[in-house]
Amino acid sequence: MTAASRAALDRAGPWVDRVFRAHATLIYLFLYVPIGLVVLFSFNAGGHTGELRGVSLRWYDYALNDRFAMGALQNSFVVGFWTALIATSLGTLAALALQRVPPRVRAIFDALTYIAIIIPGIVIGIATLIFFVNLFGWVNPWLDYVWTAAGLGAPPVIGKGLHTVVAAHVLFTMAIVMVLVRTRLAGMDRSLTEASFDLFATPLRTFVQVTLPQLRPAIVAGALLAFTFSFDDFVIATFVAGPGQPTLPMYIFSSIRRGITPEINAIASMVLAVTITALVTVGLVYRRQARQAGETAAEPLALGIAEDA
Amino acid sequence: MDRNEFRDLYHDLRRGRITRRHFMAVTGLGVASAVVAACAPAASSPTPGPTAEPTPPPSEGATPAPTIDVNADWTPPEGVDLGDTLIMTTWPNYHDQKTLDRFKELTGVTVQLNIKGSNEEMLAELLVGGTGWDVLVPTNYTFETYGSKGIVEKLDLTKIPRFDASRYDQRLLSPAFYPAGSKDQYGFNKDWGTTGFTINTKQISTLLTTWKEFFERTQADLSGKVMIHDYQLTSIGSALVALGYSFNSVDDAELAKAEELLVAVKPHLFAITSDYQPAMRSGDAWMTMTWTNDAVQLHRDIPEIEYVIAADGGEIWSDFFAVVTGAPHREAAYAFLDFMATPKVAAQDAIFHGAPLIDSAAIALLPAEATGNKITYPDPASLTKLEFGTAELLTSQARADLWARVKSA
Amino acid sequence: MTSGNESAGGRGRSRAVTALLLAPTSAWYLLLLIVPLIILLVFSLGARAPEGGYAPALQLDNYLELPTRATAFFNTLWMAAGGTMLCLLVGYPLAYYLATRAGTKRTLLLVLVVVPFWTSFLIRTYAWMTILGNQGIPAIAEGLGFGHIALINTPLAVMIGIVYNYLPLMVFPLYVSLERLDKRLLEASKDLGAGRLATFRQVTLPLSAAGLLSGAMLVFIPIMGEYVIPALLGGGKVFFVGNALVDLFLQSRNWPFGSAAAIVLILVILFAVTLYLRLGSRAGIQREVSIL
Repeated sequence: MTAASRAALDRAGPWVDRVFRAHATLIYLFLYVPIGLVVLFSFNAGGHTGELRGVSLRWYDYALNDRFAMGALQNSFVVGFWTALIATSLGTLAALALQRVPPRVRAIFDALTYIAIIIPGIVIGIATLIFFVNLFGWVNPWLDYVWTAAGLGAPPVIGKGLHTVVAAHVLFTMAIVMVLVRTRLAGMDRSLTEASFDLFATPLRTFVQVTLPQLRPAIVAGALLAFTFSFDDFVIATFVAGPGQPTLPMYIFSSIRRGITPEINAIASMVLAVTITALVTVGLVYRRQARQAGETAAEPLALGIAEDA
Repeated sequence: MDRNEFRDLYHDLRRGRITRRHFMAVTGLGVASAVVAACAPAASSPTPGPTAEPTPPPSEGATPAPTIDVNADWTPPEGVDLGDTLIMTTWPNYHDQKTLDRFKELTGVTVQLNIKGSNEEMLAELLVGGTGWDVLVPTNYTFETYGSKGIVEKLDLTKIPRFDASRYDQRLLSPAFYPAGSKDQYGFNKDWGTTGFTINTKQISTLLTTWKEFFERTQADLSGKVMIHDYQLTSIGSALVALGYSFNSVDDAELAKAEELLVAVKPHLFAITSDYQPAMRSGDAWMTMTWTNDAVQLHRDIPEIEYVIAADGGEIWSDFFAVVTGAPHREAAYAFLDFMATPKVAAQDAIFHGAPLIDSAAIALLPAEATGNKITYPDPASLTKLEFGTAELLTSQARADLWARVKSA
Repeated sequence: MTSGNESAGGRGRSRAVTALLLAPTSAWYLLLLIVPLIILLVFSLGARAPEGGYAPALQLDNYLELPTRATAFFNTLWMAAGGTMLCLLVGYPLAYYLATRAGTKRTLLLVLVVVPFWTSFLIRTYAWMTILGNQGIPAIAEGLGFGHIALINTPLAVMIGIVYNYLPLMVFPLYVSLERLDKRLLEASKDLGAGRLATFRQVTLPLSAAGLLSGAMLVFIPIMGEYVIPALLGGGKVFFVGNALVDLFLQSRNWPFGSAAAIVLILVILFAVTLYLRLGSRAGIQREVSIL
C-alpha cells in the first residue's frame, strides 16, 4: 500500500478503525474458541470430552498406541498423497493439452469440469458407490471365469478399498487443479515460450525449463488443495471406502457414535500441530521468494485455500 | 398341536400374516409368562461363590444340566490362528469395554465396534455387501431376511463349544433358526429387553405411564425436551401403540394415523436419535424413548432418571450374536461368540450393560444387585402388552418410506 | 475460462501427444462422472426392490414422489442462501480490514483464517455440539440471568455451524479482489467530495463484485450438498437434501427414489449457479467471475 493511500484511509478516522478491529477480533474468537477447546480437552485426564478433570498427556499416549486410530491416520495420509499426486499430474497435463484442442472439445471438457466441481460430495459418493458395486459385480465373475478356465487357482477379487476412495477424490480435485492451472496459463507470458522455441529448444525442454516454473504456484496450490480436501473428506469416503480401512474422518465419525473420548482431541491436536509447523515453514519459504519476486507472501496460500470447497 | 403346525403358525407370525395375539392365543404362549418364567432369576437365587454349584433356574420343559463348568474362565481355542482384529457392528452402550479388553488379553484380538442406530441401518450396508464386518448383533425380527439372503452364516456350533442350547429358553432362541422351526441356527441370544422411555424426574414431577401420554406431553409442556429413536421399528411402533394399534401394524390406515402423529410431534422433539444417553446426561433432554440397557446405565449414574415400560404396550426384543457371511476374521468371530457364550463372561458383561440375560447359567452367576434391579427384571405383569417385532417389518417398504418421510418432513 | 492458443498445425504427432495428455482425464470423467451419472439416471426411473435397493423398471413415480421431500429442498435452499448471505455480511468487513487496514500483521491474520481448515471438520463441528449444548453457552447464559435458551438441534445451531465452516471460503476471494483494488480510486472519490458510504457503494463494492460472486459460489455450492452439519448440530430435526439422501441410501434403502432426489439436487444447483453467473455477467463482470 502506498503512503498516499494509507493517508487517505487514515482520514477515515480512528473510530472506524476500531470498529473494524473489534469485528475482526470477534471473528477470530469465533474461529478459534472451538479449536482452543479441542486442544484444551486433549489434555484432559478424565475420560469425557465435556468435563475437564486434571491435566495429563495420557490421551496422546493412548492415541499413539491405538492401532485403529493410527491406521486410520495412515490411511488418510495415503489417500491424500495419492489423490494429490494423481490429481495434480493429470489435471496439469489436461490443462496443457486443452490449449491445443478444437474449441468444441474444450467446451465439452469445460462443461464436465464444471459439473465435477458443482456436484455435491454426497452425490459423488452415492453415484460412485453404485458404480463400483455394479462394476465389481460384473468384473469379479469374469475374473473367476478366466482364472478357473486357465487353472490359475483362486481368482483375485476386486473390491472397495483405499483405491476407490482415491479414484472418487481425484475426480473433484483434478477438476480444481485444471481450473487453477488453466487460469495461470491464461495469464502466462507467451513471449518466454516463443523465445525458447526461437532458441531451438525441444518442446519437452521448453516445458520443463520455461512453462513448468511459471505454472508452479498453481500446481503447488492445486496439490495442497487436493491433499487437504482428500485428507479431511468424510462424505465421499464413507460411501466408497473398503472394509476395515477407515480414513481418519471416518474413524472420528464412528467415535462420535461410540461416545467420543479425548483421544480424538489428541489426534486432532497433533494433526493441527503438524499443519501449523508446515504452514509456518511454507510461509517462511514464500516470504523469502516473495521478497525476491516482489509479491505478497500470502497470495499463493490465499489462492490455494480459496478454492477448497 | 404338533411341531409342524406350530412351525407354520410361527412362520406366519414372523411373516406378519397373523398377529402376535392370535399366535399367542393359538399356541398358548404368553410373552410375559414365557420370558419371565425362563429368564427372571428366582427370588431365592443364591449368589454364587467360586465353589457354589448354581442351580439352573426352572424353565419350561426339562432343562439338562449345563455341560460345562459355569465358573470356568474362557480359554481360546487351541491351534487356531485368530489374527489380531475383529469388527463387530452393534448398538450404542451395549458392551463393557472391560469385556473386550479381556478378550484382547486372552487372544491378542482387538475388537473394533461399529455403532448403528437401527437394524435397517445395518441391513442397508449389508445389502450393498463388502462391509468387512465379522460379528453382528441383530434383533429377533431380522433373521428371516438375514437367513434367506445368506447375510449371516449358519453357525458352526462346533466352534462355539460353550454354547449350550439347553441353557436357553427355546422360544427366545427360536428366532435364530431359519427356516423357522428347522435345525439351522444363525445366532444365539445376547440378552433381551424392552423399549420404554426414561424420564428425568427432577424436571418432570408426574411420571408418565403410556405412549399416549408420551406423545401428548411432548406436544405440550415437554416440547423441545423429548427424544425418539432414529428407528422405524420403535418410533413408528410406539406411535401406533399410542393410537391404540398394534406395535407391528402394517395396515395403511393405521400407518397413516401414526405418520400424522409423528409429523405433528416432530417439531416438538429435541432430537431424533438412537444414541440418546449424552443428551439425557447433559440435561439437554428430559425424556427419551429408551432400551432397557440404556435405562439401567442412566439410572445407575443419575438416579433421578427413571424407566417406564408403557402400560399401553410397546416392544419386547431379544438381540443375538451372529457371524456375517464372508467375515474377514471368521475364526476370531467364532472365538468371540464362544467367549460371550461363557456364562461368567456374559454375566460380567451384563453387570455393565444392564440388559437381562437368557442363558440360565449366566443368570445364576449374577450378583443380587443385578438380579434385583427392577429395570432389568421388571414386574412380569408390565410385560403382558408388549410385542416382538415381526420379520416383515425389517423390509416393509410402507414402514421404511413412512419413516423417511417423517424425518424429512 | 481461458481461451487457449491454436496449435501451430495439425501435425499428427502433436495431435497424438495432445490426445495422450487428455486420455487419463477423459477416462476419469467417463468412468467416475458420466457413467455414474447415467446409472443414477437409470436408477431414478427404477423401482425399489422388495428388501431395498434397486429393481429394474421404467417409471416416473420416483420423481412424482419428490414433493414429499419439498421441506428438505426448501430447508437446503434457504439455509444455503441464508448461510451465504451471513458469510458475506460477516466476512466482507473482515476481508476489507485485512486488505486495507491490517498493515504488517496482514499475512499472519490471513493465515489464521486458513488454519481452521486443517483441523478436522468433524472435530470442529463436534466442538460446537459441546459449545451449543446445555452445558455450554446455555449454561453461561443462565448463569448470567438470561433464562434458559435452547441452541443445539435448532436451525440456528446449524446456521452457526455453516458460517463457522464456510466463512474462510468467503473471506479469501473477497480479500483477493479488495487487495487488488486500486487505492487511488478511493482517494479520487474522496477528493471529489464523496462521503465514506458513497465511496463504498460507488467504488469499493462494484470493484470487489467479482470476489464477492466467487466467494458466494464457493460457499453456496457445498452448503447445498451439506449433510454432516445438520446431522450433528440439527439432531435429525433440521433436514437437508443431503440428509434425505443418506437416509434413503443408508437406512430406508430406496435407491431409485434417492437417485431421483440426487438428480434433482444437481439440477437445482446447476440452475442456481447458472442463474447466478448470468446475473453476474449482466452486471458486466463475467470475465472475472467463474465458479472458481
